[in-house]
Amino acid sequence: MAPPDSQPLRLRATGCRTALGDARATCAGLLLGRRALELLPVLGSEGGDPVPLAPLPGRNLMETAPPAWLSCLDELAAEIPPAPWGSARHPVFVTSSNFGVGSLYAVQRTGDPRHFATGMPFATVEFIGARLGWGTNVTVVSHACVSAHVGLLLAERGLRAGLADRALVFSFDFISPFVTGGFHALKILNGGMPAPFSARATGSIGLGDGAAFAVLELGQGGYRLSAQATHNEMHHFTGNRPDGAGFATCLAPVAAAAAGRRLWIKGHGTGTLEAGRLESVTLASVFPGAPLVSWKGSLGHTLGSCGLVELAVAIAALDSGRTPGTIAAEPPCFTDTVAIAPFANGGFDGVVLASNAFGGAHAACLLSHD
Amino acid sequence: MIERFIHAVAVEDPGPEEPAQTRDRLRDLFPPGATRRMTQLGLVIGGVLHPLDPRETDAIVYASTHAETRALEAYLASFPNASPMLFQTSIHPSAVQQVLIAWERPVGQFFPLAGRLQIVAHAVQTALLASGSRSILCGGEERKPVLLGQGAGSAITFAFALALTPDPAGALGALALSGGGAPDGRLLLCDFFAAVRDRRPLRQAAAPGLELILSWT
Amino acid sequence: MADALLVRLKQLIVDTLKLDDLRADQIPDDEPLIGSGLNLDSIDALELVVQLEREFGIKIRSSEETRAILSSVAHLAAYVRAHAPPEKLLPLP
Repeated sequence: MAPPDSQPLRLRATGCRTALGDARATCAGLLLGRRALELLPVLGSEGGDPVPLAPLPGRNLMETAPPAWLSCLDELAAEIPPAPWGSARHPVFVTSSNFGVGSLYAVQRTGDPRHFATGMPFATVEFIGARLGWGTNVTVVSHACVSAHVGLLLAERGLRAGLADRALVFSFDFISPFVTGGFHALKILNGGMPAPFSARATGSIGLGDGAAFAVLELGQGGYRLSAQATHNEMHHFTGNRPDGAGFATCLAPVAAAAAGRRLWIKGHGTGTLEAGRLESVTLASVFPGAPLVSWKGSLGHTLGSCGLVELAVAIAALDSGRTPGTIAAEPPCFTDTVAIAPFANGGFDGVVLASNAFGGAHAACLLSHD
Repeated sequence: MIERFIHAVAVEDPGPEEPAQTRDRLRDLFPPGATRRMTQLGLVIGGVLHPLDPRETDAIVYASTHAETRALEAYLASFPNASPMLFQTSIHPSAVQQVLIAWERPVGQFFPLAGRLQIVAHAVQTALLASGSRSILCGGEERKPVLLGQGAGSAITFAFALALTPDPAGALGALALSGGGAPDGRLLLCDFFAAVRDRRPLRQAAAPGLELILSWT
Repeated sequence: MADALLVRLKQLIVDTLKLDDLRADQIPDDEPLIGSGLNLDSIDALELVVQLEREFGIKIRSSEETRAILSSVAHLAAYVRAHAPPEKLLPLP
């Protein structure tokens, strides 16, 4: 057998849940141009300005005790290939930006101490782990909107070091007034619907619920992660270096690994203006001619889960033979590589997936397939 | 066994010091005006990172179980007029970002971890497996008695940072993980900090399949 | 005599952003608030907006509008005069 560090990193299974359903339903909905986002009060039942949100069907932003989104995680977990997850040789990497922070908001509003059971990241993960029957070999990754990518990278390193047989990366983020209030205060979750990569006067984002998983192992065949990279600009909390160098630094090793492949790109594309411009222009420069899509104009930004949710949707797109376009993008776009309409993906042999986060954090990976 | 060698150590153990006192004590480590928005956790993390001089080629691993509890509480209290600054500050891994953004220090690999019982094992594993010649393993908490009663805060403020490389020459100590740890292995961040602060050796099961070995020369 | 609204806005800036090393009367009327010698950034701007909205009953919709309104204290004062209800402009007790 080839040594671990030279074997391909195989995605044995992936899955997700969004406001449009599982990975296949989400992809099908996106191909039809469905938009999950709708204008809802920013503070849920407490009211406030209408902003674009995409919670799971029937889910109230105000958290219950226990949280209503647990049933979504139960359904998702049922798709994970069985293994002694959380044991020494089957590590779990849980990735999120907000974990159960909606429960902390609920404590503050209601005074109900039962919400503390899922209020802090460690408590949320221990709660979920016990519910899903995991062992305690669970790494908790919290790096805002690149959390999922970081989880994938750490899982790969553990496999290549011979510390695991298979690894589970499990990612989720469910919106709450804590989060929607914060992004509203940043003035980017405003009354406008997001139009990723579009050269408009005002930028707007939407927020959505998301959960996803990936099971990784070393071996041949199927879908593979052929490269992974990260970079952290540490220039400003909410802004990037104006020359786009942060994006380019992260993408360089992925571009090297992708040389010779015909690619399409799943970008971050939340709907903000400056970051959207920098991202799309840099991607067009590093990967000339590669069509660029973002699905956040429909699903909203699923925050810490976005990297893994969108990986699962990308795989569903490859399985279907068609890649959903950038829903809600409006010409003129920042570059002519932005694909607004769906397109056939049979002639491509690789997908670059990129995510970005506060602090100028960047992450990207190359998804390849036979 | 995977192992790296400790070439620099820094700790912050400020006792019951309040954030304003920490700010006065450490303000000179940061550009003028930068500390007005920094949390106590950010300040003490800056206190331990400063002597290690983080570089873009380093891998930085940051571990905190409770993270920005004061900013979290203050942010919640700001509703319905939510404070954007407190929202931003309350999001993990704010403490390290406060420091490196103030210093304008990019970093290629940055791995922020949360968790509780196995956080040390996983943070050490992440640092030992990082690519590149040097890893910085850092962590800390800020004291927040109000949340403590619900298990959501730390009893003490502390921070630590270790610079790790593959080179044993001139090392202060070594940090390693070996297999065979008990299935219920655990090691809290505050206990690891105490061992680092006191230069005490440690050898214990820290996670399923992971025994942590900390030794000093 | 100094414009009372300008004085009030400058004090609001110092208090909201905890600018301990700056007096309100040291803030120029016509220089940019963000990205200038005051060392304020976009997060400071947004924090200011929350306080301005609460104190003056105005509503600022987007980050782009925030940048435009905060191009200087004089510009901010003009915006507040044009958009705040008259009772919000009365001197504070």
